[in-house]
Amino acid sequence: MKEPGARGAVARALFVQFFRREATTRYLGSVTGLAWALVHPIALLAVYHFVFTSIFRATGFAGSSFLAFVAVALWPWLAAQEAIQRAAVCVPGYGGLIRKVAFPHEVVVYASVAATLALHFAGYAVVLAVLRAIGEPIHLEGLLLAIPLWAVMAIAVAGIALALASLQVFVRDVEHVLMPVLMMLMYLTPILYPLTLVPERLRGWVAANPFTWLVARLRAALLEGRISFEVGDLAALAVALALFAAGRWMFVRLSPHFEDFV
Amino acid sequence: MSGTTEPLLELSGVAKDYAKVETRGGRLALVWDLLRGRGASHAFTALEGVSLSMRPGESLGVIGENGAGKSTLLKVVAGVIRPTRGSVSVRGRIGALLELGSGFHPEYTGAQNIDLAAALLGITPAELAEKREAIVRFADLGSHLDDPIKHYSSGMVVRLGFAVATALSPDVLITDEVLAVGDESFQKKCMAWMERYLAGGGTLLLCSHSMYHVQKLCRHALWLKEGRVERYGPAIEVTQAYLAWHEEKSGGAAARRPEVRTGEGPDVHRVKSLALEPGEFVRMGAPLFVRGEAYSPDGRAPVVLVGIVRADGTPVYGVATDMDGVSPAQTARDRFAFALTLPSLALLPGKYVVRAHALDPEGLYLFDHVEVPLTVTGDSREMGLVRLEHAWRDVVPHDPSNRGQIQI
Repeated sequence: MKEPGARGAVARALFVQFFRREATTRYLGSVTGLAWALVHPIALLAVYHFVFTSIFRATGFAGSSFLAFVAVALWPWLAAQEAIQRAAVCVPGYGGLIRKVAFPHEVVVYASVAATLALHFAGYAVVLAVLRAIGEPIHLEGLLLAIPLWAVMAIAVAGIALALASLQVFVRDVEHVLMPVLMMLMYLTPILYPLTLVPERLRGWVAANPFTWLVARLRAALLEGRISFEVGDLAALAVALALFAAGRWMFVRLSPHFEDFV
Repeated sequence: MSGTTEPLLELSGVAKDYAKVETRGGRLALVWDLLRGRGASHAFTALEGVSLSMRPGESLGVIGENGAGKSTLLKVVAGVIRPTRGSVSVRGRIGALLELGSGFHPEYTGAQNIDLAAALLGITPAELAEKREAIVRFADLGSHLDDPIKHYSSGMVVRLGFAVATALSPDVLITDEVLAVGDESFQKKCMAWMERYLAGGGTLLLCSHSMYHVQKLCRHALWLKEGRVERYGPAIEVTQAYLAWHEEKSGGAAARRPEVRTGEGPDVHRVKSLALEPGEFVRMGAPLFVRGEAYSPDGRAPVVLVGIVRADGTPVYGVATDMDGVSPAQTARDRFAFALTLPSLALLPGKYVVRAHALDPEGLYLFDHVEVPLTVTGDSREMGLVRLEHAWRDVVPHDPSNRGQIQI
């Protein structure tokens, strides 16, 4: 057997390879290329802006403009959503390898999640910088806190992705169920509206959503410039790690049987 | 490659079940069973109770019919699938030449695919840095190295795959059939590599339908039948038992002969001439001489196989120079003479064909054959193909007028 150190090195080398494969075949192979990672969220943002400010004339966005208020939360949500959706179906794409070559299958999921999140984080930074440049009240130094917040999100997303990806191999319905579920979750998360607008008797439920915590922390950092550590952050990290551990446990249980089902 | 006598590879009681899922609900039930750490409740057993051990230099041939579980066994050894029961212990590096190029990505260039394949094979980046040059040289792709491999011919893909797989310098090399890939000059490189590998103490786990190759290359053989070990032991014994079973089952002869390679040109071993003495007509029991000359492209003595088949194609007997530990004698730079004496021809009267085959010096591939007709003459009412030495005992002379009366 290989010694653990060498196996770690091999897994890292594989991760680099798969990461490159995920990133390049997804974006660089298409004509629109990397730009697509920016175009899609910007188009969504424009539509929301039109609907909420010109039609509903919504107010109460914690003193900032609707554009900045939504942009700060929309990008991480779309990143997480796309990462989960893509990772859920990523294993069959490596079917040829899984049937023929011995390698740690989970690396495939990590590479898929990392490629999506990295790309969207880059888009996030660009959009925030542009909003700041056109005079929106964005505190760019808040990105310092946004990085660890995204990292916590990545841990949780990886856990969810591991669970769904392993399930999808056996039950192909996962990807179909995922789409409406994620859409509903988006509207149940205070992304397009502040938590304060939620009726009081429901507020507890919405606040219990871990993504609500993430959105609140990002807004505090980027809209108000409050870069601080809170005790709640530890709880969030614990939740993310628990999700990861559960997802990985499930993946490890199911992955020895992938070979026969991919 | 270590020189210890510790087994490189040990399988004990290995079994592999494949889940059988017929309904949609069955899939959910399967996931539930697997998550609880149970096996699938409806399963097909592909392997059961397979135990074997391989020591350095003791190559093993896996034989059996299609569907007997050979591929599953190789996948278990390669680590692609985990056995449902039993244990696999590996001391050393395993290289699998199962499907060359299966780890490649078509959009990547050859050079990028080397990185990817190396990572999949467990070559660390540091190790790859040392070996990259050798891989590139072996694959010999020239300027195509920087083209996406979707533009490669299948032969080029295989060359690249072989170059990466062998760079691993595995302790055990798993391969399906003897390497028969690429064009002829690349095949030669592969064979030369294999010779060096085996001579250097390398160990093969060969899955083959060619009993000839298994006998030639492997010390032990394992016969799988319906997922179980039917027989495991010295290669000659197991392959002969398998062939006997096979002949009994199908009534025909199985592939005990080497693989036939067809080819033209100066690279191919050939039989240049073949003659019988005294001639085409030989009396039963008289001596027969078979003489001929073989051509070898590289000046190394080829292996020559002389065989006799009945006119309808039924093989009667065949023997090769390497089986008897001899080699054809060199008469010119690329010419080798052979002469075989059969002092008293035991063939029963009838029409036969004498064939001479030229093989490569390793005796692995059969390149060419030449045949001449042979008619055995004589008066005999005996049946079959050959006269076996025999004697009757407790008999009296046959007398057609004596109609079976019992003498008291």
